[in-house]
This record gives sequence, C-alpha cells and structure tokens, in this order.
Amino acid sequence: MEVRTPSSRCPTLPPKEARSCDIEPRVSRPRNEVPDRGSNHHLDKPPQQQQLEQQSCLLLLLVLAIHLPNMPPLREATAQRSAFSQSLRPYLQCVRSSLIAALTLSNFASQTTERHNVPEIEAQTSPEVLLTPLTIARNENERVLIEPSINSVRISIKIKQADEIENLLVHKFTRFLEMRAESFFILRRKPIPGYDISFLITNFHTEEMLKHKLVDFIIEFQEEVDKEISEMKLFLNARARFVAESFLTPFD
Amino acid sequence: MAAPEVHHLFHNPIADHSFSADHSTLAVARDSSVELYSKAGNAFKLADVLKGHDKTVTSVDIAPNSGRIVSCSQDRNALVWEPSPTGYKPTLVLLRISRAATFVRWSPSETKFAVGSGDRVIAVCYFEEENDWWVSKHLKKPIRSTITSVAWHPNSVLLAAGSTDAHARVLSAFVKGVDERPEPCVWGERLPFNTICGEYLNNSAGWVHSVAFSPSGNALAFAAHDSSVTVVYPSGPEQPPKAVLSIPTQLLPFKSLLWKAEDEIIAAGYDCEAFRFQGGEGGWQLVGTMESKGHAGAGEQREESALNMFRQMDLKGKVKDNTQLKTVHQNTISNIRPYEVSGGKVTKFSSSGVDGRVVIWNA
Amino acid sequence: MSIIQQHTAATLGDAWRTVNIDILNEDSSVNFDTTTLHPPQPEISEADVRNLSTQVRQLLRGGDAEGALRGCLETPVYNGVDAAKEAHLQTLIEVLQSIKASDMTPLLKGIYAAPGGSELLDVLMKYIYKGMAVGAPATAGLKSPAKMTPQSTGFSQVGSRPGVANESASAAMSVLLSWHEKLVEVAGLGCIGRTMTDWRRV
Repeated sequence: MEVRTPSSRCPTLPPKEARSCDIEPRVSRPRNEVPDRGSNHHLDKPPQQQQLEQQSCLLLLLVLAIHLPNMPPLREATAQRSAFSQSLRPYLQCVRSSLIAALTLSNFASQTTERHNVPEIEAQTSPEVLLTPLTIARNENERVLIEPSINSVRISIKIKQADEIENLLVHKFTRFLEMRAESFFILRRKPIPGYDISFLITNFHTEEMLKHKLVDFIIEFQEEVDKEISEMKLFLNARARFVAESFLTPFD
Repeated sequence: MAAPEVHHLFHNPIADHSFSADHSTLAVARDSSVELYSKAGNAFKLADVLKGHDKTVTSVDIAPNSGRIVSCSQDRNALVWEPSPTGYKPTLVLLRISRAATFVRWSPSETKFAVGSGDRVIAVCYFEEENDWWVSKHLKKPIRSTITSVAWHPNSVLLAAGSTDAHARVLSAFVKGVDERPEPCVWGERLPFNTICGEYLNNSAGWVHSVAFSPSGNALAFAAHDSSVTVVYPSGPEQPPKAVLSIPTQLLPFKSLLWKAEDEIIAAGYDCEAFRFQGGEGGWQLVGTMESKGHAGAGEQREESALNMFRQMDLKGKVKDNTQLKTVHQNTISNIRPYEVSGGKVTKFSSSGVDGRVVIWNA
Repeated sequence: MSIIQQHTAATLGDAWRTVNIDILNEDSSVNFDTTTLHPPQPEISEADVRNLSTQVRQLLRGGDAEGALRGCLETPVYNGVDAAKEAHLQTLIEVLQSIKASDMTPLLKGIYAAPGGSELLDVLMKYIYKGMAVGAPATAGLKSPAKMTPQSTGFSQVGSRPGVANESASAAMSVLLSWHEKLVEVAGLGCIGRTMTDWRRV
C-alpha cells in the first residue's frame, strides 16, 4: 500500500551556518553548577547583570563573557535527558490519546457556502460542528491546544521557552518552518495567538495519510523541537563565547 | 468462522457502496464518479464508470428489484441511473436544495428515495408520471443542521434521519398518490407528510452518524459521535418512549450500524473494525469485536533493537512503531450494509472504508 | 449620479467590509442555537458549591477518598457563575491531589464498574481538561504570547524563571496528567470523545 507518511518529511533544521559553530570554548566551566534545563533553575543573579541591561550588541557580548561559566555544558545536558523525559512521557501520552480521539474526521461540505468544502474549525460558521477545545498543559509554558471539528482539527503548540534567547530561537525556528509550510502539508502558516506553532489536519489528510502516523508526527515534532531549541541555544552560547573571547583579548 | 472476503479496489476513500440483489454488481462512490464493479471469479473487476457529478459523490444506492442506481453528491444534485441495454442512463432529480446532498437511500417499496442534505432538509423524491421527472418534497421542520444519514422503516412511509444537530428523528415521508395508507404502528396512527414521530438526543450529544430501524421497524438505533449506540423503543403514538437505552463505549465513534436481528446490532467506525452489541428492551451491551485478531491483518512485527524499543516507550509513550493496523480495514469504516439475509437475520454484511476496501463479513 | 448621496464616516471607512452579514440572517447556520444540544441543566450557586466542598473535605479527612471523588463528580457545575465553576474545580483538584498514585486505577475501576460510573468518569475527564486549561489564554482572546518576566537581556539564567513561581501549578498539572493517563486506561478514548462532544461544559 502506498502511504505517504509525514514523518518522512520531518522538519529540516535551519541553515547549517546558524548552528554549526562547534569551536570548543576554552574557558573553564565549573561542573557542579549544572542547571536543570526544565522548569526549576536556581543560580545566583550576578550584580553586574543589572547594569548591563542595554541592548547594544557589544554589551550583550560582554554579558555573555561574564556569564560563560554558568552556561550548561553539552554533555551534562544530554545526561539529564532521561530525567527530563520522565516528566515528558505523561504529557506526550496525554497529547497522543487526545489527538487520536480528536482525529475522527469525516467529509463534510460547507453549510454556508454552496459547493464548497472548507475546514470548519477555520471557517467557524456552524457552531454545532465545532467541538469543545481541549488544552493539555505540562506547566504554564508548555501546552497544546486541540480544537476539533467535524472535518478538521487545529493543533497549536506552545513550545517551552525559559528565557528570551529561547523565545527568540523558537520564534525564528517556527517562522522558518512556517515559511515552508507547503512541504509539511499539515502545518499552518500562522500560529494561533498565544501559541508558537499550529497544525491544521483535515479529513483529506486523514484519508491519504495514516492517522497514527500523523499523531506520531506531532508527538515527534514536540519532542524534537525542544531538543532542537536547547541545542541551538548551546551552539549560540558557544559561538558568542568565542566571539566575546576574541573581542576581549586585546584588552587583556 | 470463515475469514472475511476482502476486496481492495483502489487507494481512494469509498464514501459509500452498494451491492445489487444478486451480488454480481458492486457500486462504489469514488471521488466525483460512481464506479461499477462486476464479479469475475473471486474478484471484482471495474465494469463501468458513471460520470455525471462534478463534486464528491457522497452516497450511492442500488434498488434491489428495479436495478436503478441513485447517487448524490456535494454538487447539490442526485442522479437516478436507469439500466438500459446500452448502459446506464442518468436522470437528474429536481432536489431544490442549495447545499451538498449527503446521503441517499431507496425506500423498500422502491417508488421513492430520500436525500439528506446540508441545506437542513431531507428531499423525499418520487417519480411524477405526467412530467416524466423525479420530483421531491421537503422534510424541513425541526431539522437544524446537515443530515448525515437516513433510514427507511419497512413500511416505506416512516423515515429516520440523523443529523449533525445531535438529534435522531423519526419523520413521516408519506406521499399522497405514491404510498398506500400505512397501517398504524408504534410510531403513530395517522401519518401525514412531515409528522414528527420522535426526536432523540443523547446527554453527551455528538453528531448522529448513522440510524437504523430494527427488522420489525419497532425500534430505532443510532450511533453518535460520543462513541455511543442508542436504542429507542417507542411505546405508542404521542407517548414518551418505553425505553431509550444509550450504550457509551470506550471506543472511538461508530460511523455506521445495522441490525442483525431484533436482539443484535453491528456497528463499525473509526476503530476500523466492526463490533457486536446484544440486548433487548431490558438493556444492551457491547459484546466484542467481529474480527478474530489472530490472523487478521498483516501484523508483522518488525525486529527492533531493545534499546530502540525502550527509547520509543520512554520518549513517545508508545510500544511499537508499525505502519500496518491489525484490523482488516486500514482506515475508518464509513459504511456497513446487510449483504445476505436469511430467515429475517443478516447472515453476511459488507463494509467499505476510507482505505478503498470492500469487505464481506460473516455476521 | 452616484448612488451614495452623502459620504459619512461610515461609508468612507472600510469597517463595513468586515461586517459579518451572516450573523444578521436569522436562518444562517452561524446562528445555530447551541442550547438545543443539551437538556436544560439546573443552576448551581456558589453557596451550593461551598457546601459541597466542605462535605467533600470532611470525607477526605475521614479517609474516604472514593466518596469524596464521587461527591465531586455527581454534581458537576454545568450551569452556574464562573466563580462557582472555578471553586468546584479547585475542590476536585484537591481531591485528586490527595489520592496516591497507586490508588488511582483501582478507584477508577471501582467507579467505572458501578452503574452510571461511565458518566461520572466523563465528568472527571472534563474537569481534568479544564484543570489543564487554567492559565492558557482563551481561544479567541489575544493575550501577550509569552509571559516573560521583564528581564531584558535574557542571557541571565537566574532570577524568577517563569516555571519557578508556579511550582505548585506545574505540580498540579503533573497530577492531572497522571490521572488522565489512568482514566484513559479505564474509560477508553470514548471518554475523551464525550468530553469533546458534550455541550454540558464545566
């Protein structure tokens, strides 16, 4: 059976140069202070922080240089993944079962426009064919909104963003994907307000693609995007560290 | 139990299917045409394509005695295909609806058929001799949303209809001059056109996907999107029903159901397999699946490394990663119909689904 | 001669282009009366909810977790002011948090097997989703997308990270998530489906 699965077209990564700065930083890092990349993060705020609030690029780099010792090293970060995924599992399981229940779509022609067949969840013209939206939350920064209707389901994901770097990276990353939405079939070009990325699955998608593979795709995406963002953050930090270091060398 | 007979026709969804009375012809609705398959040995071969609609065909029905085929589509039209020596001749039906036609069924008398529509009406169509034309009367009154399915009472007068407004209704589709005056029954005594004999709503609502009268016509079953099957036993005209039994299930919703006998219902839908319900006025319950899981499907388990398996379980909360479902149908079953009836019981039924398969099962 | 004789702010502006004229047509499907999708529900006042929560807490203190849970689920607030709905949700979350993980499945199975139990579990599912939706922006509402604490550099990994302040909220979420998982095991996907289709919303 010729089945097109979306998983074969997994989100491609952003351009290589954006994240391929794998120069080993030479600054020594204390190993004991490894912050959890999850929600609870306790490190002392250095006093210099307060004075360096300006947005100039130079200052940013300085801040980076000062904070270098606190950046989580890559190896430890991966070591923590198992603890991290422990709390991730019930969340993804919940998203999975909710999605399976919501992806019960049928072909439904528009009741307002003749000879048209539109995703009812987008049109919002017939209240009776829209179902109660479901929210699944892991904490207040990570949640999924599932808005089901008779012939389409809209899935919106709020990706974990612990600080403004991640905020920026998530924005750029999702924008990158959304600009190429046509190659993802189910990706929506704009997210729902309050969420970072939205998918729209219609009955035509569930007809030509396997339903459980569509669900897998969403779950995989959620999982990969977290990984991707934290990796990009690490690369960015490493790169900034290197730049800052070379910038500051003459002042030594 | 013999294995089900599987016919994988193509890779498109089958919106509806219908067998001719002698089972030699199979009509399936595929995209914007109706395809006729004729039996050749053990397989079905494409014999004819009926082209006349220009939008998705939503439903098709072959009249068992006359051999006429009626089809309807989202292009707002219904066509009656008259068999002739040179092939099928289409006649347009004057539906007078301005939204998609969603479902069509011949009445048991074969003089009428009912077309459900997204225009919040059911068009009851009959042949007008003097104009040589299929015309329609509209059942309109309490319907508030798209009709998803209709079913005829054995007396060809009463019509059950399920709708996306979460109600299942029993209405009179009596057409003067076409129908004999019906015998009084539990649903009503005098039944002028558009009499509402019953209106039923589940507590947890959900669009009604399928309706069916029991073989005697004295009970009604409907399947709704809340994963339930509800059976209604009316007590008499103008009175509240004797019993309304709703069976909520743990499964995904059912798209279609049929009565095997007065005490048995078969329903199938988004779980891609058929399930059996048994009971009576005292209560109904889900008995189990119609599929014997042992041989069904090509459930070949791919060899996976233990590490990979645990990683899958840990990260994604799933146990295995295969593209093949264990059921015979590989996608939602959209329709089930009686295939063979003997002694008032359905002994075989056929199912068609989004996966392009038509399967004949032993009931 | 122009048909529009007088130019007013209304005709010159383009606000009229976005008027949804379907709403003005009574027969339009936009005006579907969704109250027809559920039987009328009795109104439950805030005082009733408070009474109930006192009773439920007593049961909890007495160690009757199942009774407390049943008490909550038997009187869902379908029709009531938002404060009453909120208060009932809080009571239920308290009950859920006080039940040990190992007791969840037997408890749910017990409720499911009892007559009318499937309905109770449907109610529980509705409250689980409602509990998780707390703090999420309203579907139609436009809130600021990221609830960032006002620290402008973002390079700081210190200070009030959003997660920290709401430790208890995310603990509540993880309780709800594990209840959800157990509930799906007992009541199946149909239960989630009924949460979606049911217009009696909590």
